[in-house]
Amino acid sequence: MGERAWIRGAQRGSVEDLERLFREHWPRAHRAAFLVTGDAAAAEDIAQEAFLAAIRHLDRFDRRRPFGPWLHRIVVNRAIDWTRARRLRAEVELGDHVAGPPPPELDGSAFARIADLTPEHRAVVVLRYVLEYTPGEIASLLDLPRGTVNSRLRRGLDRLQEERA
Amino acid sequence: MNAEERAWEVVRRAYEERIATPRRTAPSNKLVVAGVAAAVLAGAVLSPPGRAVLGDLRESVGVEHAQPGLFSLPAPGRLLVASEAGAWVVADDGSRRRLGDWRDASWSPFGRFVVASSADELAAVEPTGKVRWSLARPQVRFPRWGGSRVDTRIAYLSGSRLHVVAGDGTGDVDQNGGPAAAQVAPAWRPGPRHVLAYVTTSGRVHVLHTDGGSLAWRSAPYPNPRALAWSSDGTRLALVTRDRVVLFAAGPRPVATRFVRGVLAAEFEPGGSRIALARARDVFLLDGSRVTRVFAGAGRFSGVAWSPDARWLLVPWRDADQWVFVRVGGAHRIRAVSNVARQFGAFPRVGAWCCGS
Repeated sequence: MGERAWIRGAQRGSVEDLERLFREHWPRAHRAAFLVTGDAAAAEDIAQEAFLAAIRHLDRFDRRRPFGPWLHRIVVNRAIDWTRARRLRAEVELGDHVAGPPPPELDGSAFARIADLTPEHRAVVVLRYVLEYTPGEIASLLDLPRGTVNSRLRRGLDRLQEERA
Repeated sequence: MNAEERAWEVVRRAYEERIATPRRTAPSNKLVVAGVAAAVLAGAVLSPPGRAVLGDLRESVGVEHAQPGLFSLPAPGRLLVASEAGAWVVADDGSRRRLGDWRDASWSPFGRFVVASSADELAAVEPTGKVRWSLARPQVRFPRWGGSRVDTRIAYLSGSRLHVVAGDGTGDVDQNGGPAAAQVAPAWRPGPRHVLAYVTTSGRVHVLHTDGGSLAWRSAPYPNPRALAWSSDGTRLALVTRDRVVLFAAGPRPVATRFVRGVLAAEFEPGGSRIALARARDVFLLDGSRVTRVFAGAGRFSGVAWSPDARWLLVPWRDADQWVFVRVGGAHRIRAVSNVARQFGAFPRVGAWCCGS
């Protein structure tokens, strides 16, 4: 049984099918959220909220479409919003936010390198090299021109290579 | 439990709630249930120990032999109060400092600052009255400050919109365009993670992770909501409505419901699980399934506040123009202070009793 069947089952009230869908997609959604936010608690919240949004819209979900890109669009956009908001809310007087440790399944060195990118650059790098979307798919997911995606990828990779050197 | 399992529990509960078919209950059954519960409550509060505590206070308006002025508080800490004449901080030696023309105010999590509001302004104020920052916003109500020592947030209502702003006054946001808020003060879960509960106009409790803008859970609708309160360890959330007190734990399903009519205010015991509930004419403690009335009188009470050491309750008694301090830790005692309105320009609402001197 594949993803379409799980979605159909979940639409009909099967908790088992919903769990299969959740277990299939949670690791990548959580990982993407963490790599963009750099905050373990926020990543958990964002990935969880994306699944809750999926449940709210489950009845209207078109089973012919893949579930992953739809979920990742929510995850990455919310992760970018969260990271921007945190920068806005940095409390100069009272000290900065302290990020939690990365989830144990993540490569700490990769995280350390990617954390120095801006959230917008992090998002396209994560979508391209962690979730393995094409630049065209990323442009669609983030509602960006294809050229913007390419330039962010290029700049992001340049920064990562500088830091490795 | 790891992140995946925690998330799965939340997702599964939300899914089961979505597919659950609401069960209709005949109105007559509801009345029977409420009636039985009210009878149980009445039995508890009118038990012999309850009557002994009440003594001859029941029909009097005001406590006899009250002090003519507020010479001191019976426990360490500082009181924050607000009236039509402004907001005030009262120290435990009875000294008062007026903070300004604010009509609502609450403490920062550790009592270092006060967030105050007037009709069209939100401000962070030092206990000395000095304004640190302010924001002009329409129809500001119920400012509440939460978070850790190093990272705080303030929630407030602007009209029916829930807003959250950082403790330094930056990054003010309408909370993700979520449902409109009822006119009930939002409540921060104690702790560093910026988890906020508020009630929507449909009477649902929403619990949000405000930094990510994500919804942890939301409850079924409860009509006529009046107050929200977290326990100090953040494990219990109480919703007060016109006819009941609903207790939540980690999710949308209530762990207990007590049918009690007319509760106006609720506050958890600092460091404990008892809830002080104030109605117009009595104040009682709810401790699990046990209900104990601790004070009653004619006229109208306007709230209740625990002392930081959890040994005293402050009951503002508007019709008697008194503050009544009821000792609930150790031997039962009552202290009262008269002429409260004269001392604060008008009879004030008690915000909170906070945090040592």
